[in-house]
Amino acid sequence: MRTFRLAIVENDEDERYFMSEAFRSSREFEILGEFANGDQLTEWLHGSPGELPELVLSDLNMPGKNGYDIIDELKVTYPDIAVFATSTSSVVATRERCMRAGAKDFIAKPDIFIAYDSFVAELYLLACRYLG
Amino acid sequence: MHLNSALIFRNLTEGIILLDETGRITTCNAAASAITGYEETEIEAKPFYTIGDGQDDPIKYRYELDQVQKKKKFVVEGWKLRKDHTRYWAETSYSLLFDDAERFAGYCVLLRDITDQKKKQLDLLESEERYRLMVEAIRDYSIFMLDPEGHVLTWNDGGTFIHGYTENEIVGKHFSVFYPATDQLDEKPKEKLQVARDAGSYREEGWRVKKDGSLFWASVVLTALFNERNVLIGYSKVTRDLTHRLKDEEVLRQSEARYRSLVEQVGDYGIFMLDTKGRIVSWNEGARRIKGYSAEDVIGKYFSIFYPEEDILNGKPAWELKVARSSGKYEEEGWRLRKDGSRFWANIVITSVYDTEGRLSGFSKVTRDLTERKMSEQALQESSDKYRQLAEELSVTNSELSSVNRELEQFTAIVSHDLKEPVRTVRSFLHLMDQQLDQQKFDLLKPSIGKGILAAQRMHELIDNLLHYSQLSKIGLQRQKLKVDEVIGEAIQNLNDAVEQSGAEIRVESEVQFIYGDRIQLVQLFQNLLANALKFTNGLTPEVKVKSWMENGSVRFVVEDNGIGISPENLEKIFEIFRRLHFVSQYPGNGVGLAVCKKVVERHRGRIWAESAQNRGACFHIMLPKI
Repeated sequence: MRTFRLAIVENDEDERYFMSEAFRSSREFEILGEFANGDQLTEWLHGSPGELPELVLSDLNMPGKNGYDIIDELKVTYPDIAVFATSTSSVVATRERCMRAGAKDFIAKPDIFIAYDSFVAELYLLACRYLG
Repeated sequence: MHLNSALIFRNLTEGIILLDETGRITTCNAAASAITGYEETEIEAKPFYTIGDGQDDPIKYRYELDQVQKKKKFVVEGWKLRKDHTRYWAETSYSLLFDDAERFAGYCVLLRDITDQKKKQLDLLESEERYRLMVEAIRDYSIFMLDPEGHVLTWNDGGTFIHGYTENEIVGKHFSVFYPATDQLDEKPKEKLQVARDAGSYREEGWRVKKDGSLFWASVVLTALFNERNVLIGYSKVTRDLTHRLKDEEVLRQSEARYRSLVEQVGDYGIFMLDTKGRIVSWNEGARRIKGYSAEDVIGKYFSIFYPEEDILNGKPAWELKVARSSGKYEEEGWRLRKDGSRFWANIVITSVYDTEGRLSGFSKVTRDLTERKMSEQALQESSDKYRQLAEELSVTNSELSSVNRELEQFTAIVSHDLKEPVRTVRSFLHLMDQQLDQQKFDLLKPSIGKGILAAQRMHELIDNLLHYSQLSKIGLQRQKLKVDEVIGEAIQNLNDAVEQSGAEIRVESEVQFIYGDRIQLVQLFQNLLANALKFTNGLTPEVKVKSWMENGSVRFVVEDNGIGISPENLEKIFEIFRRLHFVSQYPGNGVGLAVCKKVVERHRGRIWAESAQNRGACFHIMLPKI
């Protein structure tokens, strides 16, 4: 079974905890790193980690470098890394803005963060579609 | 002294030569010698012809003497040669001489040098001949003589050409043949001769008849000729065919008439002529309609009557003519007066008019009443101005609406995200607690409840801030004259706790004393900027400077700190609502402060921006209009 190397960027500690728990239990993703904002992510990337993630799942609203900044920056510095944006907002404009900026796709967060199972399944399907 | 015949003979001033019966010279007097140049002794006993014309023509001489014999007296004229071989025109009068016994004794020859007389006569002849030839050769004029009764005496080429008769057809005929039958019946030819005789000459133009019966339009001058005794000897008649001229004139007259009626009937343009002095000499319908004057009103008046008083005082009418005279044309638009004193906006063109010899004969003036056009142009302009203004207002409203719309969108995004987030957190923990209860993990409940309460607390703050922010756009701006020191002082006062806690030093160096604006909002502006300056430090005691000065008619404020500063890529982002550069745990905040600052400044039609150098703190600049 295909597994994907993943980095998670989410400023809310609790959210991030439940999110990564769901990814781990699915066994479809290998979590290389968890970060609270874009600054932490890029710092880690520039520090030449042993392995680069295939995809980055990023929240949009974060202090410091937010999700949009990550999309903009990685498009230039790490064009091979696919960025998937996520947010509680399901406003169409938000999704479109992310796609326009260069995100592979946008997935709305589940209603409550203890229900990330289906979110993980959806991201897996998308990852398979885009990355093979 | 006894006068005998010999003495008389010698002293006579007429040249006399006496010949014997055979024609030989017997003697001559001194006067004869003076004429011929020969002394008596030189020619004595020589035949008379030796002092003749140098041809020694005895036959002609014999003939002359024979003629004397027959007629007793014979006079001949002819060239003779003097002794010096010069010529003279001689009048030679021969007469017979008889002795006491009445026997033929010889000839007496009276010799006169009449060269001068002859020359005059010849000159006269020559000039008469030239004149005759000239008259005869003239073709454009028929020139001929009539006798006192009116019969044709002479004829010239012009006569043949104009009347159609040759000389031998017409000489001797009465000149009435040139007149149409009706004129003949009225005895016009006779009348005309009478007039010419009485007045010396008679001139007229009229129809005449050619030989072929066709009519032509003739200009005739009939002049009575009197001799030195004042006796009428006849008439000269000079006739010219003016049919072509008449035709040309007729065409010209018709064309002029057409043109005049055209000009007179033009209703939309005032077209009239001025003489060189600017007096009106013609007037048309258009001029009447535009200016209200009839032709009788204005003909002969100066055209300045159409000008407003100030133009007349400025000498404008005369100046316009001067321009037209020097450059051929003057054109302008301006106010003119109608007869009733009302104004109209005129387009006028004054053009110099020259006669065929290039002399200025006057001016034409064309006037158009553009009042209606001007009015409609102005109305159009006004309505277009109005529409432009409306469009501008609409565009302003539109951009205001768009910005409100953007704010609304932003607001929606914020509500949907930032507000949803804590709700979601509360919900998530409630669900988690439900699970924990089911699983009877009571010890895990407490932390979950704590996190839920924190999330609810955060939501409360967010809603407060959001309301505060949105109030900024809603509430009407209260513009008051404010003391800068008081505004900044109030902001510092509100931050009293933070200032004391941080031990900050805030220096205010304000060159500007007053500003106009909303007190509450401007206090909020400085309060937020100062709060940030106190908050974003890296352990150092905050040092804050607030300065103000006038710059290009605007007031510039600068709030400068010695804090952590802002990296270049974030200098603009910091003004976005809910944008935070740092985690709450590090620098607490809700991402609303600078968004509020920006909104306040924009509501005061100003500008705010941040500058920051590495590790040199942040510097916020504000430009506000003075009023």
